[in-house]
Order: sequence, then C-alpha cells, then structure tokens
Amino acid sequence: MLNINNIYKNFEDLKVLKGVSTEIKEGEVVSIIGASGSGKSTLLRCMNLLEVPTFGEVWMEGKLLTPVDPYLHREVIEASNTYKKLVAGGIAPDEAIAKIKAEDLLNEKFSSAEGKEYKALIKKIYNENHLDINLARQKMGMVFQQFNLFNNKTVKENIMLAPIKTRTEKIKKAKIENALTKCLNLFRKEKKPLVEITETKAQIVAEAEAKAIELLKRIGLEEKADVYPSTLSGGQKQRIAIVRALAMNPDVMLFDEPTSALDPEMIGEVLDLMKDLAKEGMTMVIVTHEMGFAREVSDRVLFVDEGYIKEDASPEEIFRNPQDPRLKDFLSKVL
Amino acid sequence: MYLITLFEDMGKIFVKYWDLFLIEGLTATILLSLMTVVFGTVFGAVLALVKIGRIKVLKWIVNAVVEVIRGTPMLLQLYISTFLIPVIIPAMNELENKKLICISLTLILNSAAYVSEIIRSGIEAVDKGQTEAARSLGLNGTTTMTNIVLPQAVKNILPALGNEFITVIKETSLASTFYVGELMTTYHIIVGKTHNSLPILMIIGIVYFILNFVLSKALGAFERRMKAHA
Ligand SMILES: Nc1ncnc2c1ncn2[C@@H]1O[C@H](COP(=O)(O)OP(=O)(O)O)[C@@H](O)[C@H]1O
Ligand SMILES: [Mg+2]
Repeated sequence: MLNINNIYKNFEDLKVLKGVSTEIKEGEVVSIIGASGSGKSTLLRCMNLLEVPTFGEVWMEGKLLTPVDPYLHREVIEASNTYKKLVAGGIAPDEAIAKIKAEDLLNEKFSSAEGKEYKALIKKIYNENHLDINLARQKMGMVFQQFNLFNNKTVKENIMLAPIKTRTEKIKKAKIENALTKCLNLFRKEKKPLVEITETKAQIVAEAEAKAIELLKRIGLEEKADVYPSTLSGGQKQRIAIVRALAMNPDVMLFDEPTSALDPEMIGEVLDLMKDLAKEGMTMVIVTHEMGFAREVSDRVLFVDEGYIKEDASPEEIFRNPQDPRLKDFLSKVL
Repeated sequence: MYLITLFEDMGKIFVKYWDLFLIEGLTATILLSLMTVVFGTVFGAVLALVKIGRIKVLKWIVNAVVEVIRGTPMLLQLYISTFLIPVIIPAMNELENKKLICISLTLILNSAAYVSEIIRSGIEAVDKGQTEAARSLGLNGTTTMTNIVLPQAVKNILPALGNEFITVIKETSLASTFYVGELMTTYHIIVGKTHNSLPILMIIGIVYFILNFVLSKALGAFERRMKAHA
C-alpha cells in the first residue's frame, strides 16, 4: 500500500529524519510513538508529501509520489559519470556503489554533470512510475491534531467540497480536452474520438450530498449538517474531520495525534470511531500518545527516535518486551 | 475677535465658491481616490500573488519595488514620475492631460504597493492548517486558494482596504502641487482670487474631515456586519 524508502528530511540545518524505511500493508493499522519533537508528524506528513522528503522515495500502490532518488536505483548509479570514473580507476563495481552511497558522491547540483544516460534514466523511471500527488492524496485521508475544518464552510459543505471539486474538475478537464480535439479534428483526416463525459455536475453534487448525510448519520451528527464548525465541540469537530476524509473513499488514513487537542471527556468518542474504522479493515497510520489505544488497535508499532525508527514490532513486543533502551525510557515516562 | 472674522470669511467664501469646493474639488478628489483604490487593488492583488508565489526572480523584483515605494515620500514620487514617465513612454507627450495620467499612474502604483502588503498579510494570516487540510484531500492549489483561503482572507483584507481608501483620499491632496483639480487645487484657485488663505484651508479641512469621518463610520458598520455573519 505505502512504501517509505530511506526518507531523509532536513529543515534547513535540522536533520529530523535520517533514513527511515517502512512498508504499510493493506488493511494494516500502524501506530507511531515517540517523544515530542522526535519527528513523528514529519514522518507522517512525508507520506502524503505535505512535507517533501529531502531524500528518499514514497510509493503508494506501486506508484512513485516523490522525485526519483538516484541512490535507491543501482542502474541509475551505474549510469553516472562518477561511477564510471571510479570503475575506470580500478575500483570494483560493488565497492564503487557502496562508496558513492556512503559519501554522497553523485553530483546533482548541475543537472548535466552525471551525463545524458544518467539523466535519461531518471526521467524514464519517473515517467513510468510517477503518480500526480493530488490524485494520490485523494486516496490518502489525513486527520490533524487541530481538526482543520474549513471555517468558511458548513459541516455538510466541509464534507462535500473535495468529492465535488475533484470530480467536477475532471469533467472540466475532459470538456477542454474535447474542445481541443474537435478543433484539431477539423484538420485531421482520421478523426480522434472525444472523451466520454458520463456524469453531470448536478449528479455529482447530489451523490456527494447523500454521502455526506450518510456519514453524518453514522457519527450521529446529522442535525449539525448546516452549522459552521465554530459552533461545535472539539470531539464533534474531529469526528467530522474524520468523515470528511472518508468521503473521498480513501485507501489509507493518516492520523496525526487526533486526540491531543481534545478535552479528556471527548477523547473516547473519537477513539471509538477510529476503532470502528480499524475493524472495518481500513489501512491506518496513527501518530498517537494514547498508549492503551495503540496497544489495542495496532497490528504494528513504530518507535521513532533521533531521526530513526528505533523499534518496529507488534504492540505485544513493544509494550511487554521493549528492546531499545530509549524506548524503555520513553515507556517508563508515559505509562 | 480674529476668530469671528475668520468664521465670517469662511462663510462668505463658502457661499461664493461652494461649487468649486463641493462639485469640482470634492468630486475630483473622490474620483481620483476611487480610481486609485480600484486599480491599486487590482494591481496590488497581482503583486501579492507574485509575493506569495514561487517565482523567485519576480518575487525579488516586486519586493524591491514595493520597498522603494514604501520608503520614499509620495510627493517625491509624484515629481519624479511627471518627469520620468514621459521619458520612458515618449508617446505620452502627445496627450493633452499627460500630467493627470502621470499623477494617476503614480497614485495607483503607490497604492498597489501598500495594498499588496495588505493582501499578502491577509492571506498569510489564514491558518496554514486550512490549506493543509484542503491539499491533503487532493484539492489543487488553485481550488484551495479560491474556495478556502481567499474567502477567509477577505475578512482580514477588507477592513484594511477601507483604511487604505481613507489614506489615499488624504494623499491625493499632494497631487494639488500639479494642479489636477482635486480639493487642494481648489485652494490654489480660490486663494488667487481672495488672497486670504486660512478660511479656505479651514473649509477644505472640514470637507476632508466630513468625507473621511462618514467613510470610516460606514466602514466600521460594514466590518461589524461582516463579523456578525462570520
Ligand atoms: N516546518 C518546519 N520547519 C522547521 N522545523 C520544523 C518544521 N516542522 C517540524 N520541525 C521540527 O522538526 C522536529 C520534529 O517535529 P515533529 O515531526 O512535529 O515532531 P513530533 O510530531 O514527533 O512531535 C521538531 O524539532 C520541530 O521543531
Ligand atoms: Mg507532532
């Protein structure tokens, strides 16, 4: 589902992630724990590219979301001038590759410095695998600590906006494309067919509205459909933020401390909704400080510390039998 | 005693020249200000988009121009532009009202510089989380801007834009140096006839004050209504 390959993330001089790799499988519920400031949010936000990784690649369902990282493709390194020089200088191929990786030798500052073959190969890999980030995000819901409901929209509009806009924009694009094809067809002997447009805007809106009402019923807030977010409690806001993401029928949901900004009495209602999602088989990645919850719902727990995933194990192992000394220390503080 | 004479003179002059004050001067001031703010806003919006945009070179140029405009006196800019614009655009010399055009362009550019700051800060004051939420749902940058960020930014921008309008009304008086017909030009015209400065200046002061006072009250009411609807 999601592949995180050797992610580095720097904010100017601050190195937050220093080579993180993991795979999120379909239907899996993965919790990310760690001290505050350790880079949990950064890791999560790199998954949907709200933060663009400095190095490394993110793949979703076999599609590349980031630019190509040459260090992750042996054939790309082999196509580089640096590698060719090293090998010509008598260094064994494997050694040359190791050296280039370890010492960050590829000259990427000047896009032509590594030669045409190298550039062409990167372009080829990108073109064959890359998926537009907006399309990818439509399949990746995200829930924020601060809810981030749209202040200028009612609850229902909050839920309907993305489904309507993303689908109507597709129609708009198809219409423009068709107009262009029609024009060009005037000059063509063999007429090119037009793209078929199967849905109208009215249909899209009606469907989005039905879905929004259904989702609001699910969380028992249908009477709040037409109010603005400022009138809601934190727990209500967060549950609406969750169903707003669900309205896009995502394949995976990312949660960044969804209960950290809530009053204690409201945490339960949000966690219950998340548990339901987990039971239904939703793929979920959850940054959380709710250790009991993480232990209960997770298939796997990642402990992030000092820019690395220090421990990656089942909740049983993480909480019963932690290995990493910093994890032991962390758990002794939070449990 | 002098005050009584002053009030008498003000009365006399106003009765005799009221049309110069209220019809020609005031109308010209309002039109000039309105035009400046409208075009200044449009142009300022473009500059603001460049400022928050990603094209580094354009950004740098716009920031430099804005800083220069904000860092030099308006009167100086008006003087320079009446000389400079005809040099840059020689065709200007053919035009009858080239002075007015130069003055208008300067007022507009000056206002655009300030408005661009108003709009930029209005946009940047919208919580980043709003943009992140929209983008995380797969909406593109344009849709996010037009559906989420701008509608919220307008609430920050409109009040400040109203204040800018009042500032511009006062600044148009500087254009009187070039006799473009607004309120302060009225002063130059009438003083040539009556040779009595103070009463005329007092009248003009009152006209400016009433105009801006009414305007700022109206803006205040508008702002309250907008807040009530938010
Ligand atoms: N946009 C940013 N610019 C600069 N520094 C950032 C930014 N986002 C996060 N950081 C820094 O990166 C580190 C990790 O942050 P974060 O991922 O939010 O930690 P966590 O979620 O584990 O508390 C912190 O030191 C934080 O200050
Ligand atoms: Mg965080």
